[in-house]
Amino acid sequence: MSEIVSKDLHPLEKTLLNWLSEHGSGSDMEALKGTGMDEGSYRRAFQWLLSREMASVISSEKTVTVEFGPVGAVYIEKGTTPELALLEAVGNGISSLPEIQKNELFEKAQWGSAMGALLKARILKKSSEGLLLNDPSGGVFSALWSSVYSPVSQGETIYLSELDEKVAAEVLNRAPKRGKSRAEFVINETTSSVIGITPLGREALEGAKGKTTIGILTREILASGEWKNGSFRRYQVDIPPSRIHIGRFHPYAMFLDSVRDKLQAMGFQEMKGSLAESEFWNNDALFMPQFHPARDIHDAYYLEDGVEVAPPSRKLGDKVRETHENGGNTGGRGWEYTFEWDRSLKAIMRSQGTALSARTLGSNPDIPGKYFGIAKCFRYDQVDATHLPDFFQVEGIVLGEEINMRHLLGLLKLFATEIAGATEYKFVPAYFPFTEPSVELHVKHPVLGWFEMGGAGLFRREVCEPMGIDVPVIAWGLGLDRMALLALGLSDIRDLLNPDLARLREMKSTPEKLLGGADNA
Amino acid sequence: MPKIEIPLKDFLPLAEMDNTENLEKLLESLKAELDGLNEETVKIELNDTNRPDLWTAEGVARGLRCWKNGAESHLDSMADPAVHIDVHSGLKEMRPFIAAFTADGWTVDEDGLASLITAQEKIASSFGKERKTAAIGFYPLDGISFPVSYGTSSPETRFRPLGEETEMTLSEVLEKTEAGLKYAGLLSDFKEYPVLRDSSGAVLSFPPVLNSHATGRVVSGDSRLFCEVTGTDWHTVNLTATILACNLEDRGAVICPVEIRYPDGEVTVTPVLYRDTLTAGFKEITGVIGTDADELDIEALLSKMDYREIEVGEDSVTAVMPPYRRDGIHPRDLMEDIVIAMGLNNMEPILPSEYTVGSASSVEILACSVKSLLVGAGCEEIMRPILTSFDKISIRTRTPEPPIRISNPMTAEYGVVSNTLLPALLEVESSSGHAAFPHRLFTVGEVLCRIDSSLCHTQMNLAVSTGDGDFGAVHSILGIICHLRGLDLSLKPLDDSRFIPGRSAAILINGEEVGILGEFHPGVLESWGIAVPVAGFELPLESLRV
Repeated sequence: MSEIVSKDLHPLEKTLLNWLSEHGSGSDMEALKGTGMDEGSYRRAFQWLLSREMASVISSEKTVTVEFGPVGAVYIEKGTTPELALLEAVGNGISSLPEIQKNELFEKAQWGSAMGALLKARILKKSSEGLLLNDPSGGVFSALWSSVYSPVSQGETIYLSELDEKVAAEVLNRAPKRGKSRAEFVINETTSSVIGITPLGREALEGAKGKTTIGILTREILASGEWKNGSFRRYQVDIPPSRIHIGRFHPYAMFLDSVRDKLQAMGFQEMKGSLAESEFWNNDALFMPQFHPARDIHDAYYLEDGVEVAPPSRKLGDKVRETHENGGNTGGRGWEYTFEWDRSLKAIMRSQGTALSARTLGSNPDIPGKYFGIAKCFRYDQVDATHLPDFFQVEGIVLGEEINMRHLLGLLKLFATEIAGATEYKFVPAYFPFTEPSVELHVKHPVLGWFEMGGAGLFRREVCEPMGIDVPVIAWGLGLDRMALLALGLSDIRDLLNPDLARLREMKSTPEKLLGGADNA
Repeated sequence: MPKIEIPLKDFLPLAEMDNTENLEKLLESLKAELDGLNEETVKIELNDTNRPDLWTAEGVARGLRCWKNGAESHLDSMADPAVHIDVHSGLKEMRPFIAAFTADGWTVDEDGLASLITAQEKIASSFGKERKTAAIGFYPLDGISFPVSYGTSSPETRFRPLGEETEMTLSEVLEKTEAGLKYAGLLSDFKEYPVLRDSSGAVLSFPPVLNSHATGRVVSGDSRLFCEVTGTDWHTVNLTATILACNLEDRGAVICPVEIRYPDGEVTVTPVLYRDTLTAGFKEITGVIGTDADELDIEALLSKMDYREIEVGEDSVTAVMPPYRRDGIHPRDLMEDIVIAMGLNNMEPILPSEYTVGSASSVEILACSVKSLLVGAGCEEIMRPILTSFDKISIRTRTPEPPIRISNPMTAEYGVVSNTLLPALLEVESSSGHAAFPHRLFTVGEVLCRIDSSLCHTQMNLAVSTGDGDFGAVHSILGIICHLRGLDLSLKPLDDSRFIPGRSAAILINGEEVGILGEFHPGVLESWGIAVPVAGFELPLESLRV
């Protein structure tokens, strides 16, 4: 080991060892100045030597120095502090705060707090004639100027420990840890060490004498052939790499893409829609009665007055109205109430992805056909660990002459295993206004346990008939949030859309593991 | 969704169950979930908003009994009405409908009383729209002399409301009692108020607010009850009364109907025996459930769901829903009950056999191509919510075009819909001063824009920004994307409030003005608390389509 080590001193290490060997030991500052290195190089060289036991710390001492904060810097520029300026003003016969506050050298509040400080320190006093000088010397405030402001502005280093006790206390008082932008002073704590060379260091230095070692291999060294006469400094290869930041996709976007890929692979075509919908497409076309509790104002976001989305054709609107009012041509009796067309046209933020499916049904879909949509939806919820103001849902429909409940269950089973990686699943009867029969898919996840993954069902005739669809349509909607959290190893849904780049950079990137079977869980 | 809490010592005997084993599974057939269970009580959440009959202990218990034993009879042997209620004119605009019955022979105990109160609360609040379309009153029958009259009375009418120490006028009830304050809104448009009196003139109640203390106080030990439901919707009022009658019958009471005489001469006997009659062809049933209907014992299946008069014919079945249900609006509803009775988990899942070709939407394919280039250019993708604040878009970022506002925002923080993505990137910059620089960010997402003064439309935008980067930094990112996609990029000077004058430009792609690029104004950076120079551009993704 020592054989290898001694031969392979970095030029910086060599410089520092040389200096140490000459001086035996010295302080940080002396070594830095003596070697002529920049501070970064010096620190690196020293840390390397320390880790290789070629140098040692003989003693170390913490020093606390005082520098100007932004406010202090302004005072230096003005040549005085509010306290001293106030003392001077009082000396010149000004005797009330409002009077001095007319002076724009400092802000009103600064004058005010200066007066407070001076009164508290009994340097000023209030009398029937107004403000009077009690201690013309200015006490601690003059001392602050002479022992801190002046020397620091001259570039001198002021050690807190060397200040008068009262002055030091005042300095600390004016150097808040928080809100540094309003600080008069900034306290700098540094540790200075006395370092020395070890026998191993001397040995290494001895061994390295007279040799040319090549550090970075440069074009010049290659061109000149100089490398033929020297040896290469061995790198310390077991240190961690420096962190670089690369371009990459957002992990949540990759998750959504993997859902998209999976559904494409199953033969689904993607649907796209509008963020803002009419109540017609969001609700009415889905046979949700206009008096349905889920349609109350608190469940959907309404757009400001005067903003509209394109209305549906009146012909389709009338069919949907009739279906609501009396069942229309569906063979049912409808919801038996008076449908309001104005309500239909109200613009809301899409509250359910099923609005996409409704639009697809209304625009001559392929039969047989399979469609899916990954849609931003908006619900009137308080934002917390499990609710975002907007979130993604994945929706889908399958149309076909022969399509029935068992196909729906077959697809749900596939989603449970292929998308959620579930080990067990079950179907539970459910209620949705637009499907009958309706079913919920519950899955047992190896980590999450049982949870509801989504709702599904056969679209009612009351949904299909007005759109001119006369084949069965199965429809499903899966919640993606919980799966996304799990796939990305998060516990708070807000982390999916976090604005903190440093945290985003910590999120792992393993898209191949985001979805799928139990072997990925 | 309504949730109810029932003492087990009341519930288990009603449901004819020995213990709560399997309860969770059994509840699935009622679209209900076990929401909590301890040694004394069970909490149940009911998910079917069309089945108010299930929102009571009696309803859930009945469903479970029928699942096990088959259909039961309901209100099948009621006598003719012995008493009547006169409805007076003047209620038409206010609260026109009433239904009532008497229940004799079940002695109210503590749990039974609690159950009546649950029914009153759950059904009247949710199904009855906070007592507007239906409100419920129970009374000890023996203190009431018939006929009862349902009419209007002046706000100065006095009576002692249930739970109050003294007599009050109707106006005082609305102003001073808890129930009065809660439901006063239902009566605010009227000069007189609805009042129920018996033949002696005594006030029985002030619907939909409070019963009278003298005649409207049911206590443990009462065994003869009078029940009425008033409201603004005919079917809601009547179905509520029928549900309550079935519930009390299940507890052992004999239900006697009451005749309602309306001012226009119409006479109704309540409770109304609803009979939603549904017919479904075997072919349709087979088409929906995917199993040959001929192979099913449809009669037994429907009986489990408490259907009656089940007639299985050659190629169709006709059956009548029990009187407490009115959600059979299409034959499909009958098929669903067959499916539930079969058990969804007993149906064999199969996959559709028809071959279809999958595809992503063209805008997502485009997004994928462009995003890959941006990642190659070293940009990190950002995702932020679409709802945001006016402050972020218009005040801090100084976006010239105002975003569309939400008229009922939850908070101002999410009070508008994004019409631009640049503020989201600035927000990330302002939260990421501690993250190593440089920052090259991009986001692709939907925004909502106005097309003209009123119409809005959704488009997918792309925005890119560089933190600690200048005009040239973003320009070169846009440049390489256009170059690699074979698009002709040029910039045309264009001052914009977001950017430093002279350092922003309209983006022209193949000669067409599509977006904006520039170096953010220090005032914008200051308002976001960003300490580094930031430049950015934004354009609709479609403008990068070749």
